[in-house]
Amino acid sequence: MTVATPRRFVRADGPDKVTGSGRYTADLTFTGMLAAKFRYAEIAHGRITRLDTTAAQAISGVFAVITDADVPDVRFGPFVADRTLFARDVVRFEGEIVAAVAASTPEIAARAAAAIIVEYEPLPLVTDLEDALTAGASLVHEHWAVYGSADPVVRDRNDASFSSITTGDVDAGMAAADLVIESRFVADGCHAVPIEPRAVVAQWEGNKVTIWTSTQVPFDARAGVCETLEMPASRVRIIVPHLGGGFGGKCGFHYEAHVAALARVAKRPVRLVFSRREEFLAPDRRREGMVIDIRTGVRHDGTITARTGWMAMDNGAYTADAGFFPQLAAMHIAGPYKIPNVSVEAHLVYTNHQPSGSVRAPTAPQACWALESHTDEVAAAVGMDPVAFRKLNAVDTGDVGPSGQTYGEIGVQQCITEATRLVGYGETPLPHDEAIGVAIGWWPSFAVPSGAYIKLDGDGSGQIITGAQECGTGAVMTLRQLAADELGMNPEDFELVYQDTSVAPYDMGATGSQTLFNNGRAVVAAAGQIAEQLRNLAAEFFEASAADIVLADGGAYVAGSPVATVSIAELAGIAASGELLIGHGSGTPPATPQLVGSSCVGDLGMAAFVAPQFSCHAVRIRLDRDTGVVRVLEVAAAHDSGTIINELGALGQVEGGVMMGIGQALTEGTVYDDEGRQRNAGLLEYKLQTCADSPVIRTHFVQIVTPDAGPRGAKGLAEAPNVATAAAIANAIAKLVGTPVRRLPMTPERVWEALQS
Amino acid sequence: MSIPFKLDIELHVNGIEYPVTIDAGRNLVSVIRTEIGLTGTKEGCDDCECGACMVLLDGQPVNSCSYLAAQAQGRTIVTIEGVMHGADLRPLQRNLLEAGGVQCGFCTPGMIISATALLARNPSPTDEEIRIGLSGNLCRCTGYVKIVEAVARTAAG
Ligand code: FES
Ligand code: FES
Repeated sequence: MTVATPRRFVRADGPDKVTGSGRYTADLTFTGMLAAKFRYAEIAHGRITRLDTTAAQAISGVFAVITDADVPDVRFGPFVADRTLFARDVVRFEGEIVAAVAASTPEIAARAAAAIIVEYEPLPLVTDLEDALTAGASLVHEHWAVYGSADPVVRDRNDASFSSITTGDVDAGMAAADLVIESRFVADGCHAVPIEPRAVVAQWEGNKVTIWTSTQVPFDARAGVCETLEMPASRVRIIVPHLGGGFGGKCGFHYEAHVAALARVAKRPVRLVFSRREEFLAPDRRREGMVIDIRTGVRHDGTITARTGWMAMDNGAYTADAGFFPQLAAMHIAGPYKIPNVSVEAHLVYTNHQPSGSVRAPTAPQACWALESHTDEVAAAVGMDPVAFRKLNAVDTGDVGPSGQTYGEIGVQQCITEATRLVGYGETPLPHDEAIGVAIGWWPSFAVPSGAYIKLDGDGSGQIITGAQECGTGAVMTLRQLAADELGMNPEDFELVYQDTSVAPYDMGATGSQTLFNNGRAVVAAAGQIAEQLRNLAAEFFEASAADIVLADGGAYVAGSPVATVSIAELAGIAASGELLIGHGSGTPPATPQLVGSSCVGDLGMAAFVAPQFSCHAVRIRLDRDTGVVRVLEVAAAHDSGTIINELGALGQVEGGVMMGIGQALTEGTVYDDEGRQRNAGLLEYKLQTCADSPVIRTHFVQIVTPDAGPRGAKGLAEAPNVATAAAIANAIAKLVGTPVRRLPMTPERVWEALQS
Repeated sequence: MSIPFKLDIELHVNGIEYPVTIDAGRNLVSVIRTEIGLTGTKEGCDDCECGACMVLLDGQPVNSCSYLAAQAQGRTIVTIEGVMHGADLRPLQRNLLEAGGVQCGFCTPGMIISATALLARNPSPTDEEIRIGLSGNLCRCTGYVKIVEAVARTAAG
């Protein structure tokens, strides 16, 4: 099967966004609307000894003050039910919500929140990942053992989720090695930082609530409201206006229930808008810090014989969606390599930090950074060029990976070839202060159920009514093209109706790079039903067989007689007085690949990669040896994400992911004070990459029409570009410094220190 | 508790005069978004760091989160809603869409204001000048590549 040329088209929501007419959640107002503010713990660990809201309630303009006592007694969490909407007895991180206020203005709400009296008895801080796992460590959750949890989750005291992957016999594998290389790396936590701070508006009518919210996952948000406020899904409607980015930070269920509960008590619509500082401190979605030990056995000829790994990841105070992180991280320490003997174990550790959660390719950038830095050390130990070493050991079509999965046609080898070619690796000598680093990465596609409807109205214009969520990537925009192609129409013939849980069928949301992968199949299936209806109508019109009808260029004709056509609009007009043109679809997700010869403890389904994506990033940097400042000059990114359907959107994902990766590599890391509080919870102290920092980015797609994947052989894409950039930068830095910088981010101070050693 | 000091001022926004009564300490972005009712100008940080709140003040780009509304009295304010010519998109807006420089769109109004000011003072900027000119506007989605391309295309005409 050949790959069709991908299209470049203008996104349907574009005009709203360039004119300022598009509405985001914080732009919405309702008659009588109040402003919400939260009172946060502000300390990282303590027992509440007094909580008094009387003074706050008495302030004129305050309509509601609520705490744990005012909401149903529910503990929730997708993997471990360790969380409550409001702090109960104990606060476990500084951004934990103790109380919420609704008042006539944001200023009054803030004053009332400050007037709430809370007193604490301090509890011992748990902040060090390795200490937290020792036998005598203080517990973050004293009653961890009584919490409910998902079946496969293996946990023990501060170890909220443990996972291991074992293949072959590592002792024998290490014994067969000529050299064993050991490395340790430590990554700081960091943040998603969408430019839109989150906002939520809730309004009740009778016993039904409508919530407008800046979420990436409207159905998940609905489920959270239903669970915590004890309501059926039919009475909760989640609508997402335009969403100003997310990168995972707006996944999960956040403040929808708090605002709905406030609005119910206040009997008014209530709006919450976060400040940037709150955006840094409160959500249970930030990228987790990690401690990583890796050992690799290698033969003089460069063949890897065995690998062991140990990791501790900062779960923070509550588990959120991080339950599956250990297994995924373990896969990234095993890596996309042919290694017959593997044993990697990973622990998700409770601390008194902000909870971690899915941020763009969760666990991958840090783990890939560690593994690929280590890989360059191993290559150097056997005297091999790091690119040649990767080509020798990386998996290829038909190979068996470290978890016992046999891969179909995959393009990691081509990615290495293309990325190194694009950056001119090894071609010309570089100035003494420049170097090129190379790294490879991988990421699974997520196969889950997803639904869409399509209708064609009497004038032949269509609407795609989908559960899918657009967070900027353009994946939802691309659905128009899939529908149009099925029906021989133009993408512009379709409007999208989306981001409304009461209108569209379920979709998992803008998470796991799954929109096009799963909802794309649903839209193709829905369009297929309408295509069949149109063919039947055209068959009647031409007195021909439906099997001979071709749909193309906005019309239908009998195969072989394209001059006599009937327009889709005319057929839709006929249908309007008979059987209406309505399609629905939920495409069947591809099956999970079989694993052979491996065993996993704490198996949450992450050791088998459905439609795995591969990448190689090659980065040229310049280092100022006097200051430790690194400047990224050029990035070549080669990706196997299967078929590319929307080229403009795909390029945007790679470029944005690379830029985020540069930030993670060089500047983005949370710094804590001695009390477990974030010291850099603002954009002045937590530096994102700016336009002035942006390097040349060259992208190449290794397009393989992948079976058992998304529509037309597409895999996911949005997260993969965030995997290997920091690792490639690290390898370039290590070449210039002479040793890896073993802390992420590799700030000028850390690079300078490494230069001195 | 301090009693807020109220001011009656007139703001000239996108060619229209708006009389407003505000607390003296209010910043320009909140008055534009609330009293004046134009929500195209965004707030991303309240710290003068992200540029999402940029408007033109007498032709100069300013972060309206860090500017007192009262100081804007008597000056000409242009927001993203005032950028279009009638019903038609400006070439910069069209180029941003066609080059793929818009993803979530939250940085876009500020980017357009910033780039409009840049092109007004330097009609043929180099790529490097564009990159430096837009460095006060954070975009987390695009990696900036396609935004720079769109501004360069606009300059090239
Ligand atoms: S909101 Fe004004 S600079 Fe960010
Ligand atoms: S397009 Fe999302 S921040 Fe720029």
